[in-house]
Amino acid sequence: MRWIIKLDEWLATASKVCGWVACGAMILMALNVFYDVVARYAFNSVSIGLQEMEWHLYSVVFLLGIPYALRTDGHVRVDVLYTKWGQKTKAWVNLVGAIIFVIPFAYLIATYGYDFALDSYKMGEGSGDPGGLPYRWIIKSVIPLTAFFIGTAGLNMVTFAIRVLAGDKSYDVEHSAEGLA
Amino acid sequence: MTGIVMFGAALLLLMVGFPVAFTFGGVALFFGIYAQGMDLFAFMPFRIMSVMQNKVLMAVPLFIFMGVVLQRTKLAEQLLTSMGRLFGGLPGGLAISTIVVGALLAASTGVVGASVVAMGLISLPVMLAHNYDKRLSTGVICASGTLGQIVPPSIILIILGDVLGLPVGDLFRAAVGPGVVLIGLYIAYILIMTRFKPETAPAMPADHSLSRKQEIGAALLAIIPPLALIVVVLGSIFAGIATPTESSALGGVGAIVLAIIYRQFSFRMVWDAAKDTVSVTAMVFAILIGATAFSMVFSYTGGDYLLEDWLHMLPGDHWGFIILSMVVILILGFFIDFVEISFIIVPILSPVAEAMGVNMLWFAILIAMNLQTSFLTPPFGFALFYLKGVAPPQVRTIDIYKGIIPFILLQILVLAMIIIFPEWFGMTDLATY
Amino acid sequence: QDTYTLRLAETWGPNFPIFGDTTKRFAKLANEMSDGRLRIRIDSSNKHKAPFGIFDMVKSGQYDMGHSASYYWKGKVPETLFFTSMPFGMTAIEQYAWFYEGNGMKLMQEVYGPHNLLSFPGGNTGVQMGGWFRKEIKSLDDLQGLKMRIPGFAGEVFAKVGVSPTNIPPGELYTALERNTIDAAEWVGPALDLRLGFQQIADYYYTGWHEPATELQFLINKDSWNKLPKDLQAILKTAMRVSAYDMLVQSQDANAEAWSTIKEKYPNVKIKHFPDSVFKAMYKANNELLKEMASKSDLAAKIIKDQEAYLKKTRAYTDISERAYLNTMAEVE
Ligand code: NA
Ligand code: NA
Repeated sequence: MRWIIKLDEWLATASKVCGWVACGAMILMALNVFYDVVARYAFNSVSIGLQEMEWHLYSVVFLLGIPYALRTDGHVRVDVLYTKWGQKTKAWVNLVGAIIFVIPFAYLIATYGYDFALDSYKMGEGSGDPGGLPYRWIIKSVIPLTAFFIGTAGLNMVTFAIRVLAGDKSYDVEHSAEGLA
Repeated sequence: MTGIVMFGAALLLLMVGFPVAFTFGGVALFFGIYAQGMDLFAFMPFRIMSVMQNKVLMAVPLFIFMGVVLQRTKLAEQLLTSMGRLFGGLPGGLAISTIVVGALLAASTGVVGASVVAMGLISLPVMLAHNYDKRLSTGVICASGTLGQIVPPSIILIILGDVLGLPVGDLFRAAVGPGVVLIGLYIAYILIMTRFKPETAPAMPADHSLSRKQEIGAALLAIIPPLALIVVVLGSIFAGIATPTESSALGGVGAIVLAIIYRQFSFRMVWDAAKDTVSVTAMVFAILIGATAFSMVFSYTGGDYLLEDWLHMLPGDHWGFIILSMVVILILGFFIDFVEISFIIVPILSPVAEAMGVNMLWFAILIAMNLQTSFLTPPFGFALFYLKGVAPPQVRTIDIYKGIIPFILLQILVLAMIIIFPEWFGMTDLATY
Repeated sequence: QDTYTLRLAETWGPNFPIFGDTTKRFAKLANEMSDGRLRIRIDSSNKHKAPFGIFDMVKSGQYDMGHSASYYWKGKVPETLFFTSMPFGMTAIEQYAWFYEGNGMKLMQEVYGPHNLLSFPGGNTGVQMGGWFRKEIKSLDDLQGLKMRIPGFAGEVFAKVGVSPTNIPPGELYTALERNTIDAAEWVGPALDLRLGFQQIADYYYTGWHEPATELQFLINKDSWNKLPKDLQAILKTAMRVSAYDMLVQSQDANAEAWSTIKEKYPNVKIKHFPDSVFKAMYKANNELLKEMASKSDLAAKIIKDQEAYLKKTRAYTDISERAYLNTMAEVE
């Protein structure tokens, strides 16, 4: 059981780090778009590179946010039955769901996403537009990277469920939605 | 048939309560591998990439960020409660204020995830804190957050313009009337409903230290800064400073500027706002990605061809065709998303409509109204999931499902009005040559 | 007899006019000519959701065929740029002659071969219009800092003469132009532009120079191609060639039709040419950019040289035939 706790905490850290990177990208993206608007309107200066940076950052925000939201239980559930269930039943739902849904889904996207990014790297793909960003493989490899961390977050759901089953943790404490609205 | 069975399976499994996004993704995985093998999922990186490169969706995190900052700095609360105070002893003031703010946001974005979540963050806590009925609150938010689909600019109208070959400008102009009528009906509904059930939307408590005049003055004064922010966002679009998507970034930065003015600013606040934004954004996009896997499996297992076959059986007379095609779109809207409907169903219906001499502009507005409704229909209405994702736990999915029903009925009413009295909306039902 | 099903992914949405008609025509032709032995299943962008992933999906064999435009792959393989249309380049008939009688096809396979692909001409739009402008362009000065939606190589040429090429998602293009967020937008030609409604918000419609003969492309995965018996390969080739030619014909008709609609219903629209000074500057910028490309890749240098030589030869004849005739007509009328 001790190693499960260790693993659980370690995996949780991985998801949190994803979240921090996404938060940084979020703030940068808002500034990026704001700057582009001001530069275009006030100084008639447009940079396609900076315009492309907008969607690069936006992609990082929503992709790396997914494993983070998995750990903080930020993904919406239909709670018609879920809220009525006890801790053990919830743990089983999450444990089985993570094993049959989350991890295989992440695995497939990671493998095919890896080929997708690798092909881009081999071709030296960049933007086709004037002044666009080079090294398209970097943003493309965020897809397999995210999938990898969704996988670890899925594993994290399993370890957490085991802790709940062992009576060491409960689902009611960590509910991020409560802090939001 | 795989596609049809898959819908049933997803529906059942959603009820278990595993996260919606991964239930869609996981169900797609099983049916996809069963019908086509693993390699079908080699298409997933391409689909994710097309979401990444869809810059219009960038409005989602940016609008959410604005909403979170307004909420954390209590500016949203100030806006809504002050607007609510203007109604004095009249119940439903907060709900009507929410509809007004939703209508303003609708005019600045056409992305449903953006406005529903922003409205959920801004006004749900305020309404609940003032003892509003959960169902009424969530219904008002989903309905007003979805207004952006019919009030221009709107993605639905742009896609329909493309599919039907109609100028976007004509569609935008034609949609204004129905949008305004819809907003008016929402407000009328609140006014009438609260007459009979005032306890579902209690009036704001009056501040007895102030006279009614002073109260109105104070309220108006308090409304100005957050309203100015919305005006900046909208104004930047109308003045051509920013595209609708970019305007949401102005909103986010503007909200931070307001926070500085009101001494609510701290780097901690910005970081926490970013954290909330990331979490909610990820929730929205995970659903989009799960749903894209789902629709991939649906169409690659022949679901799209099956739908086509069914549609070719629609009747051939004018009114029969119009009414049945509206019913079909409404029902399909329960299950599949509006882009699929626009691209698969509409091209099958449009040549028939054209051959009957139907005014295509009118037909397009009917479809747009109908598709807007599809975001709200349980069990798969995305707006409902999005709101649930930001609602406190005591708001149950079932509350949201029930709360939205009156608003769906109002939308159907407007749809019927446009069908029966097109001239009220400056249109005709038949093409005029 | 064995039947073969080829899955084709196209960049366009379902029922996209002209471009989408081309693949449908191609599929029908191939099916009829082979007496049902060849079946082409077309997936539009609503199904595969990757309008700009056609190259990769056909390369990897996820699809057997693709219908797209070669210059979309410039970011991946720079030399693919030359097989769509070049600024100040050949007209449609001149370019077809280069493809089929000159070295065009051979060079194209040299570019696509290493990626396990074959590429064939896939239909021509004819001369594309130069774009919709909200203000008239009277001199080079009017172009300085002008914000224009113009992608790709033509965007680079424009950038060199002072324009700020701007990325605007197609969904926001209309609103952006209407509200002056951008000053100009380039799309295709009357038939397709009419659908986006630019004629309602911009008065100046400029004649083209940057894409005198935009050729779409059919892509085929080599493994899928090699699996076909010889007779079906020949049928496929013929069907592609005929449907490509048919698209040029259809474009001419549809654009003429749309243009007459615009003239009748939108008298605000005025046709304009850029002033000579602008054209000269762009011509110079274009040559500089080509030189730059040639210096980076031997293959690019070879293609540019071949195109220039062919253009020179074929244009000399166009001058005394088609141009001479049109000039004569202009004088008589
Ligand atoms: Na809107
Ligand atoms: Na073009």
